[in-house]
Amino acid sequence: MTTILLVEDDKNQRLLYEQELSLEGYEVVTASNGREALEKVQVQLPDIVIMDINMPKMDGIEAIGKILSKNKEIPVIINTAYSNYKDNYMSWAADAYIVKSSDLSELKDTIKKVLANRAEDS
Amino acid sequence: MNNYHSTSNFNTTISRLRDLLNEYRGRPLDENLSEKIENAFLGLEAGIAGQGAEITKPSENTEQQKERRKFERRNKDKIVDAIGIGLCLLNKDLKVTWANQTLCDWLNLKDSPVGNTCHDIYHCDEIGTAVCPAVNVFNGNVSNIIETWIESKNRKKMCVHHVAMPILDADRYINEALILTIDATESEKTVHRLLLLQRLGQAMQGILHLDKLLHLILTCVTSGYAFGFNRALLFLINKELNVLNGKLAVGPSSHEEAHQIWKDISNKYGSLKDILDKLDYSHNIDTPLNTMTKLMVYSLSDTKEVVILCAKEKKPIIIKEAHNDPRVTEEFRKALRVDEFVCVPLIAKNKPIGVIVADNAYTGEPISEDYVNILTMFANQAALAIENAGTYKRLEDKINQLTETQQRLIRSEKMAAIGSMLSYIAHEIRNPLVTIGGFAKTLSRFTFTDSKITTNIDIIIEEVKRLEKILNNITDFAKPSTLEKVDMQICEVMENTCILMENYFQEKNIKLHKEFETDVPSISIDPAQIKQVFLNILINAVEAMPDGGDLNISIKSGIESIEIDITDSGKSIPQDLLQNIFDPFFTTKPNGTGVGLSVSLKIIENHGGNIAVESKHGKGTRMSLILPIK
Repeated sequence: MTTILLVEDDKNQRLLYEQELSLEGYEVVTASNGREALEKVQVQLPDIVIMDINMPKMDGIEAIGKILSKNKEIPVIINTAYSNYKDNYMSWAADAYIVKSSDLSELKDTIKKVLANRAEDS
Repeated sequence: MNNYHSTSNFNTTISRLRDLLNEYRGRPLDENLSEKIENAFLGLEAGIAGQGAEITKPSENTEQQKERRKFERRNKDKIVDAIGIGLCLLNKDLKVTWANQTLCDWLNLKDSPVGNTCHDIYHCDEIGTAVCPAVNVFNGNVSNIIETWIESKNRKKMCVHHVAMPILDADRYINEALILTIDATESEKTVHRLLLLQRLGQAMQGILHLDKLLHLILTCVTSGYAFGFNRALLFLINKELNVLNGKLAVGPSSHEEAHQIWKDISNKYGSLKDILDKLDYSHNIDTPLNTMTKLMVYSLSDTKEVVILCAKEKKPIIIKEAHNDPRVTEEFRKALRVDEFVCVPLIAKNKPIGVIVADNAYTGEPISEDYVNILTMFANQAALAIENAGTYKRLEDKINQLTETQQRLIRSEKMAAIGSMLSYIAHEIRNPLVTIGGFAKTLSRFTFTDSKITTNIDIIIEEVKRLEKILNNITDFAKPSTLEKVDMQICEVMENTCILMENYFQEKNIKLHKEFETDVPSISIDPAQIKQVFLNILINAVEAMPDGGDLNISIKSGIESIEIDITDSGKSIPQDLLQNIFDPFFTTKPNGTGVGLSVSLKIIENHGGNIAVESKHGKGTRMSLILPIK
């Protein structure tokens, strides 16, 4: 089963994503901030990371940087309420940049796409 | 014996008058005056000496004596007249007993004045008052000098001074007063001119508008009562082009015109107030003289031209014989068509800024050095005033520039502040929306027995979507300005946009007219952003025509930029709102967010361009987008 590491500081949203993505058939591991995300990656390498940007303790950009420096192959999707991080060069390291919406279909489709691309490449 | 007495009496009188004169000699302008009076005395002395000798000629009989006396008297009169002073004798009752021809001419007297009171002929205001010189003389006071203006027999305006002196009889009683009337027109004119100079100087400093100022300057130079030249041409130095350029000319262009003008103003003294009032800026009417002057251009290194020489040397140049003078080129002489003219430099802060050329093309009056000196003084003041006006204009321009820049800055700061605030708010709101909408969606997957529940859940989802849409609009506005520029054809982008909106246009009954020039060059643009701008503006245009209408799109290219005009035939924008339409969140639409146009302006400005709006009541609105080519 494909593992998704979902990093999001909003508790209710975490629950939502967990429910919805599980329904899609993924195994969902959650972290509430960047630091927690790093720890979870150490414990078990996920197949894909979905990262929020605005978080306490360590924000998404820094976390991506740290994760990718250790595991450069992991696909990352940025999922944030901000639309202007698109220009931050660090965010280019991510495979996709999604602006959060109540309609999760975009997120779900992007996950499928990114995983498919990675499967092709390898 | 008697005669001896009379003679010595006359001599005393004369010496008393001389003393009086010396008192007044201190006044610098009265040199001419005193000279004239001096001549008068010499004449009088000669006449009186003659009178003394008149009596004794024993060889003559009475008849011969009478004849001789008549002859001598006529000669005396001629001498007296030749002095060029008006003379008359008044008795105790202030009645004229004798007047010379000069006085009669000056006062324009048709009949002999003998027997009239002095007031009848002099028409002065001082009659009978304590200031009247005749009255003073009979009271034994030192005589006075009063000045009045008269119009002489040959219609010349003259300023005259009256000097009264007592004539003592043998018993040393004052039984007659001698009134000398002296022509002081010249010196008066000079005083008047200097006063005028001062007042003109003040008036000029007050005028900051260059055109008005130039007109005033030249009007002064040509005004009959100021400097009285027939024509004056003004040239200014253009430093960028390194040339001296004709700017304005005042004066008649032909003899006929000159004649007409002088007929019109022949009776006006032309006070300063008159000059300023008459300043009707008729320089807008292009007289041939004015037109010719504006076409005269000389390089500053061309010292063959007299005007350039004058500017370079910073000294006035009087040309008496233009056809013979090496300083005047053939071309210049032909342009001016006079033999005598003067060039006076305009100097400000010790640097030449221009030249005034003046002549007497129609009266042919010779130009004296006196005239030129005063003209030069005037030119200095004029140059200062011109410099002031120039500085003022530059200041005005700079201030306008600064104000514009300041406004842009403010708008930009506003947008930046709003942008960052919005970013934060959008983010804060978006997160809970995700949760609300997301869970509502989850719920919607369940089936409920009560269909109302499903409906309500759908409503929640719908409202959340609506909120997200609004947020999207706002965050578009707050987006930073990175562009991904590609060389593209604007026409292509517009075509694509129109195709996108085809159905929309049809639906809203919009007739589309396209006018794209064929050789519009490609420019570097971010196609997505430009498309967004086009969409915004086209939608606005359509929304202004709720019942349908004509939509015109034209694209044309100039030397430096491409202009895209979008014109609708719908409701126009009220004039007082025109300046607000680009402000963030300004909207007149009930469902509008007010960001469409301000985002569009931002995008276009980021491309180095601009948007202009024109809206006329009843004629619709035209939006002009300008994009630079480079």
